[in-house]
Amino acid sequence: MSASKTHPVTNVLVVGVGGQGVIMVSKVLALLCQRQGHEVKQSEVHGMAKRGGAVFSHIRFGKKVHSPTIPTGEADILIALEWAESMRWINQLNPETGTFISDTHKIVPPFACRNRSRNQKAVYSKETPKDVLGKVAQGYALDAVGVAAELGNERAANTILLGVMSTVLDFSVDDWLDVIAKFVPPKSIEINKKAFLYGREWVKEATIPEMNGEVEIEKAAELTNELEIIPAWCKGCDICVRMCPEHCLELDAEQKVVNARPDNCTGCRICEWLCPDFAIKLHKVPVNEKQPDAAMVEA
Amino acid sequence: MNMEPHISAEEFDIRQFMRLDLFPHFLCPGCGHGMALRALMWALWEQNISMDKLAVVCGIGCSGRLGAYIDSNTFHTTHGRPLAYATGLALARPDLHVVVITGDGDCLAIGGNHLIHACRRNVNMTCLMLNNEVYGMTGGQVSPTTSPTRYTTTTPYGNAEPVFDACKLAEAAGAGFVGREVTMQVPTLKDLIKQAFDYDGFSFVEIISDCTEIFGRKNQLGESAEMIMSQKASTRPDSYGTRVDEPFRPNSLPTGVLVKTDRLEYRAHQQSLNPKGQK
Repeated sequence: MSASKTHPVTNVLVVGVGGQGVIMVSKVLALLCQRQGHEVKQSEVHGMAKRGGAVFSHIRFGKKVHSPTIPTGEADILIALEWAESMRWINQLNPETGTFISDTHKIVPPFACRNRSRNQKAVYSKETPKDVLGKVAQGYALDAVGVAAELGNERAANTILLGVMSTVLDFSVDDWLDVIAKFVPPKSIEINKKAFLYGREWVKEATIPEMNGEVEIEKAAELTNELEIIPAWCKGCDICVRMCPEHCLELDAEQKVVNARPDNCTGCRICEWLCPDFAIKLHKVPVNEKQPDAAMVEA
Repeated sequence: MNMEPHISAEEFDIRQFMRLDLFPHFLCPGCGHGMALRALMWALWEQNISMDKLAVVCGIGCSGRLGAYIDSNTFHTTHGRPLAYATGLALARPDLHVVVITGDGDCLAIGGNHLIHACRRNVNMTCLMLNNEVYGMTGGQVSPTTSPTRYTTTTPYGNAEPVFDACKLAEAAGAGFVGREVTMQVPTLKDLIKQAFDYDGFSFVEIISDCTEIFGRKNQLGESAEMIMSQKASTRPDSYGTRVDEPFRPNSLPTGVLVKTDRLEYRAHQQSLNPKGQK
């Protein structure tokens, strides 16, 4: 299928997380279209890389392009470099003719885990490729980061997705490779070429990857935090009480600090560092050892 | 004395370096000097410096008292003269790591002369100047670093004198390493002190501390928590670029490593002049 034959203007939306190469992908496409004699307009949100935020880039090309931004539901191709980002932007895709291309790689943002207690699950997109690919006109999903890592460099994942996209657009392989070589670092031209060709080949026998909706997070060590407070040294200066980000500490009637909400303690050590009297010491205690202690106190 | 207990210890615990029989220490509630002492001991622990190979020289004042709590070779000297004593100690015992803990009045007012000559000579030692803007121990008199219009016991209508910028003074006097940090940033302060240890020559670190009981209360600066937060807000880390951040925080002091230049250390220079090693 060629989008450029059915519409006067072809809309490509590239989305991802800062640092993945969204801008690089859109620049490659924009320059390629320009070289083929199209008028190209591109609009992007960038600079989010430092904060790990969402980055997107609109590319519109055709004989005459008036506006640089794609109206909702009119994107012909959506390329997502990250799975949850693809879900965020999927309603931009044309539901009848749009092509959906996404990496199944997950980048879980820090704020996805809203509960700061131990071993809490992060909130992440529940959709799996199986759910999504049935609903779009044409869809591809693959673990591009995994494949790129096997090829030798994870960062070539975006070039694999470009390879997948190149089968949808009417440009020759040599033109693609020529433009890609212009934008990638000289050392990685070879690996990007391999990645691009892999993407093109993969489309012929495209499969739906298995993915579960759960986010695998590293399990916290089985340690719990215990504050040792020496009341005789505490002078009640209130610094730790005011600075504790979880509001665990309180001053008692004698103006000595007590750990009023020990379950909220995340072990950040701010109270220990800021105590001018060295009255607070944080101990990381294995969970199993702590439980008998608590039982003893109750008894 | 602790014999290198920190090498085997998995986690830093300041109590193993302290003379615990003297605790609780004499500092007022909320005094920033305690945090500065923690940062110093933490840096020593991370540098694997044995307490036997450490010599702490202190002057007079609240800061001078800190040395008494360190379980090491400590030396409580006369007012304003810790740098002079330390210079002699560092030259006589080059195997020791000499750390000078001094205060703003001690270092800049009565000992200002010794500071500029220590900077000029470049003998290998580390000078930590705890700047709390006031003479705390003697009852809250005005010091060379008291901000203008602040009230102290000797300036009941507000301070009319301009502030002494100790870091600029040290730089102008020729110190090869000059740094500044607030006490609230304990890990950052620790890293700065570590860099100061590593520097071969005289290194000067100004630590902005808070005096809540005597200075803060008289000037309505709030409790310790407010004071250390406002100190943090009134400084800017040099990693952001002093020039870039300056328009947004016009009156802020840069922190971090302010000066780092290669200068020949005094002892090395002296030996190069006397190659035969004659005394």
